[in-house]
This record gives sequence, structure tokens and C-alpha cells, in this order.
Amino acid sequence: MKTDIEEINRNIYDIKNKDEYDFKIKKGLTKEIIEEISKQKNDPEWMREIRLKALETYNKLELPTWGPDLSELNMDDIATYVRPKTKMTDNWDDVPDDIKNTFDRLGIPEAEKRSLAGVGAQYDSEVVYHSMKKELLEQGVIYTDMESAVRDYPEIVKEHFMKCVPMSNHKFVALHAAVWSGGSFVYVPKGVKVEIPLQSYFRLNSPESGQFEHTLIIVEEGASLHFIEGCSAPKYNKVNLHAGCVELYVKDNAYLRYSTIENWSKNMMNLNTKRAIVGKNAQIDWVSGSFGSHISMLYPMSVLNGEGAKTEYTGISFAGKNQNLDTGFKVIHNAPNTSSVVNSKSISKNGGICTYRALTKINENAKGSKCSVSCESLMLDDISRSDTIPVNDIRNDDIEFSHEAKIGKISDKTIFYLMSRGISEEDAKAMIVRGFAYPISKELPVEYAVEMNNLINLELEGSIG
Amino acid sequence: MIVNRTPIRTSVNYGINEVDIQDLKIHSKVVEFNNLTILGDSSKFDIYTNDDNNQVNRKDLVYGNGKELEEEVYEKANQNIKIGVNNSGTLNLEFELDDENKCLIDNINIISNSKKQATIVIKYGSDDAQEYYHNGIIRVDAKENSRINIIVINLLNEKTNNFLSIENILGQDAIVNYTIVDFGGKSSISNYYSNLIGQRSKANINTIYLGNTEQLFDLNYIAELRGEKTDVNIEVQGALKDFAKKNFKGTIDFKKGSKKSTGNENEYCMLLSDKAKSKALPMLLCTEEDVEGNHSSAAGKVDKKSLFYIMSRGISYRDAMKLIVKAKFNKILETIKDENLKDEILKEIDTKLD
Amino acid sequence: MNELLKIENLHANVGEKEILKGLNLEIKKGETHVIMGPNGSGKSTLANVILNNPVYTKTAGNIEFEGENINNLKTDEIARKGIFMSFQSPEEIPGISVMNFLKYAKNKTTGQPVKVFQFKEEIAKNMEELKMNASYINRNLNVGFSGGEKKKTEILQMLTLQPKLAILDETDSGLDVDAIRIVSKGIKMFSNENNATLIITHGTKILKELDVDYVHILVNGQIVTTKGGELAKEIEENGYAQYIS
Repeated sequence: MKTDIEEINRNIYDIKNKDEYDFKIKKGLTKEIIEEISKQKNDPEWMREIRLKALETYNKLELPTWGPDLSELNMDDIATYVRPKTKMTDNWDDVPDDIKNTFDRLGIPEAEKRSLAGVGAQYDSEVVYHSMKKELLEQGVIYTDMESAVRDYPEIVKEHFMKCVPMSNHKFVALHAAVWSGGSFVYVPKGVKVEIPLQSYFRLNSPESGQFEHTLIIVEEGASLHFIEGCSAPKYNKVNLHAGCVELYVKDNAYLRYSTIENWSKNMMNLNTKRAIVGKNAQIDWVSGSFGSHISMLYPMSVLNGEGAKTEYTGISFAGKNQNLDTGFKVIHNAPNTSSVVNSKSISKNGGICTYRALTKINENAKGSKCSVSCESLMLDDISRSDTIPVNDIRNDDIEFSHEAKIGKISDKTIFYLMSRGISEEDAKAMIVRGFAYPISKELPVEYAVEMNNLINLELEGSIG
Repeated sequence: MIVNRTPIRTSVNYGINEVDIQDLKIHSKVVEFNNLTILGDSSKFDIYTNDDNNQVNRKDLVYGNGKELEEEVYEKANQNIKIGVNNSGTLNLEFELDDENKCLIDNINIISNSKKQATIVIKYGSDDAQEYYHNGIIRVDAKENSRINIIVINLLNEKTNNFLSIENILGQDAIVNYTIVDFGGKSSISNYYSNLIGQRSKANINTIYLGNTEQLFDLNYIAELRGEKTDVNIEVQGALKDFAKKNFKGTIDFKKGSKKSTGNENEYCMLLSDKAKSKALPMLLCTEEDVEGNHSSAAGKVDKKSLFYIMSRGISYRDAMKLIVKAKFNKILETIKDENLKDEILKEIDTKLD
Repeated sequence: MNELLKIENLHANVGEKEILKGLNLEIKKGETHVIMGPNGSGKSTLANVILNNPVYTKTAGNIEFEGENINNLKTDEIARKGIFMSFQSPEEIPGISVMNFLKYAKNKTTGQPVKVFQFKEEIAKNMEELKMNASYINRNLNVGFSGGEKKKTEILQMLTLQPKLAILDETDSGLDVDAIRIVSKGIKMFSNENNATLIITHGTKILKELDVDYVHILVNGQIVTTKGGELAKEIEENGYAQYIS
């Protein structure tokens, strides 16, 4: 609703700061570079070993033989570590002006005041701001950057780091483990319910570089948390790379909601890995909006390991010109009476490609499990592409499984109905597209739903008429 | 040997991009196959078989079972059959494998001339004595306004490997209907490809499969819609017992130009044992705007309520199960008009579910 | 000027098929018109063609509204001229509440900013008159509404947007007696000497409580008879048989 929502300006995402840094590693990926990153980051020995082992794994693994073409990506052109010229702080006033202004424009400090219990902000490879409400601190909640976690909680990190997602999983997760920097660590103690969301925001400013943040969240038995992740970058002519890793541990009877609004610039290769291990009667809900990047390969995964574990995935992707968004949800039912509900939507326009690529696996031991999947794709013109490629792998008979997918265009009838109320064709189409995305936007906190609608309006501008 | 590749690959870890058949060797020498019975209105068709000095049709398949198996058909086929449909009628081809005819490699070409209607039944059967081999290609060229029904029945024994590639090309307003009964084979590896080039052409495929023991079914069905207002319907119903496995890969691909076309795909797998495995990859690919595509895929046990209801009428568990499976298959079986054939299929369902 | 709508020799097709075959109709301010006719006679087509639904093509004839030819205007432009259509099956629009939609449409049709407080009060009052549950105002437009609630929402939109000409396409179909009474009450609330109503129906219940000026019988794409309100009663008793030749 253009009348209800203040007009937003594409510029807020696109304004780039000067490429100023405290330290930028040379481009490429060699043992020397990894050693240098490790030294720069003051890693303990065990972390240095993980990095070196990961590099070996990286060199052994092949590029995927499926999905989008990644040949534009050349690791020799990417600087994997860029340290901004500031130290982490819990006071926005201590953040250098240009960086602070960037986050101001993105509305992060404002959202923090209004609706968040804690905020982390990463600029290039390091977290520049981290803060959490005192009450949560008193309840024993930990919310800090990954580097501090490695230093202050080595036992917890050692037990969980790259254990949920093994570094041998694929080439880019091995790369991540070798060069990771920044990210957030959250620990919610047993029984603690964090009512207000925490948010980490990742901003990549430096050209021809990569961001490899690591997010590790542990929600202990009976605890609950809503975590929001946001990301953006200004556009450059050369490829930038994002290969983050998110590891989520949702223990018995715990609840975690993980929301993402991703708006990387259109030169970004977004090869991200997210996975949750879910305990007995625990639940993880994913809410995911993918708008940015040149190429995305992103398949969040829930491993339902405890009896009665549940997961829901609600996702939307919107691919425009020069975008290839290959996304989808993976779920492994690995215990009795587990359940999953998947609701995925995609919109393609201006030559954009959306692919829903997914896996549902119900193992022999997952008796009494239920899964229902629904995918809907909208084609806004005839130069775009939309593919649905889901794999359903069912290995026991005591289950309920259903999968439905639809592909189509905006209904002419609905356009006529709206136009008969005095609404222009362009506005009518935008309204229908927002309605299509509504099941996802309604799962987001209000500010983010507004941001998502703004992103949809931005994407639709000039493309419909 | 790697066979039956999908048109688009997905993650290798999902194990569905292709299937690997162990110990499969291409035949170096193939003896004659002499157990083909041709029934029906054969006078209404132009039929050329091996003896008629016809040329082997070796136009490359778009998908198929892979080069090696395809070459085997072109090089070694012991049944080369060309059928021209010139009048409306019904034709039955029944291949029966036995001790004297252990290996069947067939290359069947059907050309349906414009405005003609025909039903062609192709049945592959065998005795139960030993391992046989079948590898074949069925190719249909449906010219404008023709309407052709093909019924393919696989009742080979469970020691025999069965490979079948089907390829159809549809002209304007052509309709090609397939009914496939896929029951036999140790591994039954089949693919189906329709190229809907002509405007308003229509391809329907109705398949039932029934697996028991350690049977493997790998079905790779692909329809490419190119003409305007074309229509594809894929309906696959099956049941798996014991350790049987099934991979169903169904692709509906709306190509540029297929405006106002529709495609529907519906797959349901009844799981009759907790050791049976069902994999499905129902793909919808689309590069055109004004189209409508739907797919649905589901799996589950036999409905407990129906089972209870039937058993409450004094019917045993096993018989109730058979009844439910047959009821599920009924819609597809109804397309088979030949009552003897239908009886044979129903009997086979009983045997397999015993 | 009293003249609102003037249709002359209107021909319209859907695909290759001609549905309207030379239709004439004039509607003046302050009038209530009814169009009746057997199924397939072209009643709903007429409503859609007036609003220029792209499914239909006009092949001949003219539609004028307040003396201006609106043949080639887009649907939204026609709506902004002051023509409203209540749909036979209203579309469901997720993601926007009834309130926001009314505000948005009011803003678009008038080109003026909406005075929110006053606007809300007026809507609340109208909803009460239409016996609509107040909670509907915050629900997504038509999403999950029953048939009756959808039709009432159409009337609510009509009362809110205050068009010069309201076309009600089978608004009474599928409704029970009570709902029909509420709908006719809505129409009464709407009608005044500065606007007009065109009711398309095949029933007569909706007409009982309304002052109908003209009843037109539409058969095979043409208006074959026009009389006063008494014609509806005659149709109720005798059907269309005598008008179908």
C-alpha cells in the first residue's frame, strides 16, 4: 500500500562506504592465507586446526554437479577476511560514523529501541556492535559475537561448532570452516523464555570480498527464542561471496523461531548453509524471505531427531533480472511422531529464475510421522523461469505424506475485480503479489513485514504495467 | 550401469538423478525371438516386421535409458516392428518370453496418420522358470488430429530385467493416451517422453505399478509442452509390498511458446510394508507465463477405516487389502477394454498380494 | 443533466461467440432498473462489458456515461468515473484488510485523502445496518468469508465508495431470505435522486422492498421488453416463455 507505507528508497541498501579497513587479507585461498587469518583473529590452537583441516576438505571436494552455474566465482579474486577499522562495542556512539550511519539507514538502532531484546551488527568480517537487554543477561542468556564465544565459552563452542553441519557436507561449508569470521552466538539456558526477538544484521561493504559469519544458537530444554537475521550489501560490478553457516540446537521441549530477510546486492553469490537439530517435542520454525543476491543456493534443513519434534518452514523468494535463486527446505524425520509443514512461494520476473529444490526424508524409524508440503510459484512474465524440484523419500508405511505444487500467473479475474474499485492495473498487480506473499509476511514481526512489502514494491517497480 | 537419468539433476545425495543397475551387460550376440502373437484388426494397419526388409529406425532418443541400452536396440533388436495406422482399429502385440525365446530386444515404431484413431496393446509376458531379458523402444509419431491409445503391460517374471523407453511426438490436435501396467521385472526401468509440438495436442498417461519381494521400479516420465493450449496429465498409482522400491520422477516442462497450456501430475504410493521404499521427484519446470501447472504427490498406508469397514463384512485382512488396492487401480484399469487382459491383470494383483 | 448511462446498439463477444447482439439501455439519475432474463441471455456479460472486462470484446455500439464515451476506458478509469459493480463471485484478496482496502479504494476513486476517523465511524455504522460482525473489518478482504458475507461486503463497498451508478450482478443469488432483505436494505440506503441502480437478477425476492422504475427482459443478447415494476411479478408467475421466440 503505497499510501500507507512511507516510500522507501533503494539507496538505503546501495549506499557504499569507502573501502576502508584495518586489515584486508590478500585475495585467494592458500594455507598461508588461512594461517594468517587465524593469526589475525588470535585463534586458539584447536580452532586453527579446524581451519586447516577444513581447507584440506575444501580442496578435496568438487563443485556441485547440479543447480546454478557457479563458474563466475573465482576464489583467487576474493578476499576472505576484511577487518573494519573499529573494535566491537555495546554503544552505538562508539561505532565510527560511516559504519553507524549505514546501520542507521537500515533502521537497526531504531528497531533495537522499539522491538528487539538484543542486537548484533557485523560490518565486513567482524562484529562491530553487540548488545542485549540487562534482564536477559540476568537470566543467564548469552548473546555475543562468535569470537568472544570461542574465547569465553570454548567448551560449549568445541562441542557444537561444525557438528550440526559437518564441514565435509559440501565445498562451501568447508570453505566457511576454513575462513569463518564474525557471526553470533546465542545460548538460552534451560526453561528461559526470551519473549522479544534478538537480531543480528550482516553488512558486507568491501568489494571483491567475502562474508563468512558463523551463527551458533543453543536453546536448552524447555527454553524459547525468536532470532532474526538480516543481511544486505551495496552493489559492485565484481562478484562478492557470502558463505555463512548457521547451526541451531533446539533441545527437548524447546522452541526456536529463525527469521531471515535476505537482501544481498545483485552481485552476491549467496552459498549459505543452515541446519537445525531438533530434540524431543521441540520445535523449530523457519521464516525466510530471499530477495537479493545474484545466485543463491540455500536449503535450510531441520533434522528431527527427538520423538514428537516439529518443524515449520515458511519461505518466499523473489527473483528479478539477473537473479538465480535456488532455494528450498530439507527435512529429515528421524524419530517417531515427528511432523513437518512446508509452505513455499516464489515469484519470477524480468528474466529471474526461481527454483524450489527440496528434500523430505522420512526414515524407517519415524513411525507415525506427518509431513505436508505446499509450493506455489508465480510467473510475472514470459522471459522468467520457475522450477520446482522436490525429492520425497519415504521409508516406512506408518506415515502421512502429501506434497502439492502449483505454477501459474496472476489471475485476470482478480485484476479485474480490483480495477473495478478504481485501482490501476499496476497497483492491482502489486496488491495481488503482496497478497501472495502474505502467508510469509504475516509470520514476521510488523517492522519486517513492512520491510518485506517495501522490498516487493521495489522489485515490482517498473516491471509491471 | 547408470540408466534412466532425469532431465534436470538435483543434489547427488538424494540418490534420484539416475539409477545404477549392477551386473548389467549389453548383449554381444542376440538370437531370434519368435514368440510374438499379433491379434486384432491387423488388416487395418500397415505392419512391417523383421522379415519385411524394413529399415531400422535409429533416430536418437531425447532422454531414454542411456546410450548403451539405446545402441543395443538399434544394433541388436530381434523384433523391429513398424506400424502405420491408416484406419481406426485395435491391435494387440503379445510378446511371451520362454526357454526358447530368452531375450527380447524390440524397436516398435508407430505412425498414426492424420485423423486416424487406434488402440494398440503391447504386452510383455514370460513364464516363471528363469531369468530373461527385455530392452525395448516404443516410438509414436501422432500426426495432426490423430488419436492413439497405447496400452503397455509388463507381466515379466521377477527374475528378469525390464528396460523400456517410450517417445512420442504430437502434431496439432493429436491425442496420445497411454495406460501402463508395470508389475513385472526384477528391475523395471522405464521412461516416457512426450513432445507436444502441435497446438492443442494432448498427452495423457495413466500408470499403475505393483511391487513385491525386492522389485525395483524406476519411472522417469517427461512431458515437454511447446505448442499453445497443449495439455498433459500424468497419473501414477502404485502399491509396494515387502522390500519393494520405487523411484518416480515426473517432469512437466512448460517450454517457451506453450501459452495457455495446462499440466497436471498426480502420484500416489500405497505402502503395504514398513520395509518398502518410495521416492518421488515430481518436477514442474516453467519458462512461460500464461500456463497452469499442478502436481501432487502423496504416500501412506491403506486407510484403516476402509480396511475396518470391509473386514466388518466378514472379509479377511488379505482379501480386504486386495480389494482396496484393486479399487485404487480401478480408474486406470477401466481404460483397458479387453476383458481377458483385464482379468489377467486382476489375477496378477491377487497373486502378488498373496 | 440527468442522463447517467446510455448504451446504443451494443455488441460484444467472448472469444468468437457473440453474446450481446445490439443492446440499448438508458439510465437516468434517481432511477432503479432491473434486468431479468433466462440463463445465458447475457445479463452478467452486460455488467462486465460496461466495466470493460478484457475477457469480452466490444464489436459494435457505444457506451456513454454522463455524456462521455467510455468505450475505451480501462476498468479502473470507469470505476473512477463513478460506476460500481457488485460481483457475482467476489475475489478473495489476502494480505489486505477490509478497512485498508476501503480506505485505499476510496482514496483512488475520489483522488482525495481519506479522513480516517470520520471514515471509520461511517463504515462501522454501515456494517451495523448490514448486520455484519464488526470483526470483519480487520479480516483479509473476502478471504474465508461465506457467500453471504462476501455479498454484504460488496454492498458495504458500494455504500462506502458512493458511486453514481451501482450495478449489482446477481447479488441476491445464493442468499437466504434474511440476507436478501439486508441486501435490499443496503440498496435502499444507497439510492437517492443523484444516483442510479441497475440490478441484474433472475429472482424477484430482492425487488419486493425496492421501488423499481423499469424492468427489462434480456433474451439472447437483446432487451426484448421494458415495463414498470409490475413486469417482475408477471415473470415470477409466468416465466420467460412468452418472450423467447
